[in-house]
Amino acid sequence: MDGWETVEPMTENAHSSAEDPALVKAAQKGDMTAFEELVVRHRDKIYARAYSMMRNEEEAIDLSQEAWVKGWQRLKQFQGDSSFGTWMTRIIINLCLDQLRKQKRQRTESIEELDEASGGVERQMPVVTVNPTAGLERGELRQKIDRALSQLSNEHRTALILHEFEEMEYKEIAKVMGCSIGTVMSRLFYARRKMAVLLADLRKQE
Amino acid sequence: MDYEAQLKLQAYLDGELPEGEAKEVANWLARDQEAVALLGELRQTRKALAGFEDGVRLPEAREFYWSKIEREIERLDVKREEPVGVPFSVKLRRILMPASAVALVALIGMIVSKEILPSGSAYSTETSFRDSESFTYHDYAEGTTLVWLPYPAENDVADEKEPSTLE
Repeated sequence: MDGWETVEPMTENAHSSAEDPALVKAAQKGDMTAFEELVVRHRDKIYARAYSMMRNEEEAIDLSQEAWVKGWQRLKQFQGDSSFGTWMTRIIINLCLDQLRKQKRQRTESIEELDEASGGVERQMPVVTVNPTAGLERGELRQKIDRALSQLSNEHRTALILHEFEEMEYKEIAKVMGCSIGTVMSRLFYARRKMAVLLADLRKQE
Repeated sequence: MDYEAQLKLQAYLDGELPEGEAKEVANWLARDQEAVALLGELRQTRKALAGFEDGVRLPEAREFYWSKIEREIERLDVKREEPVGVPFSVKLRRILMPASAVALVALIGMIVSKEILPSGSAYSTETSFRDSESFTYHDYAEGTTLVWLPYPAENDVADEKEPSTLE
């Protein structure tokens, strides 16, 4: 990398046994194999986040790879305030949000967005009292959630993912998504209620 | 239950309410079964989603996935190392070479014409240099010298090999 000092790379054994901070330090000095080890350790998580947000395998792979390239380029800026995994997750989230914004400009509003704008159907949804996920195997549950998530609009799904998976607070989500806290609350509420209904429907279909 | 109350219930679940408001919601939940049911549903959805991403695996082989990242990093690093443009010294040399040649040809032209013609002559002279394909015209009456040179100058050639006339 530009202006980086030349270092003696760590051995393969040293890589696999090293902690993330040591690998980051080595990678910051230009050790590409240390960076590869970081990719190996965190690639599933980064891909999973991209897939949750994009709902498209190919797009998620491309974006996750782009995130790693960006990670390498910005590695010097990483100060270790958060874990490396968290730092990389924020990079992939931003890339996915950019991609979703680009896609939004190219498509018309979905029915769900119209619902949200016109007052929201979630207010009239009956409460799902039976646990629709009870007794399901983890694999089955994952499949159902996967299908239900695909049926949410990008905005509702993103709010849900940022809150449930990234554990962001309302104000943080609002900042990332470029909307008000009120909108975040509405989107999150709709997304949760819709998920409950979708999961219940999927259970009935069996 | 109005929409604001529903959102407040959600904020209570997410721990986003200040202590005072959270206590109010707790009291409200103690006497409202509808609120309890809604909170239960929100909680269940939250529970169902927990750990969802943990089981997701990248559907590509390690080597294949990494090789694309590595190639892109190398491509960008190479791009960054490439010079933005031609260095200033080279640019300056390319300008000075033909300029020196012009000055030299003009000087030779003046010397030659002075030797051939007597001073104060009203004649004009024309001299051509086959090697450089240049042409000099001198008018003694007007005291004017004009030099024609072939254009464009072959700068790249001049860069590679200096002509013997400039030695």
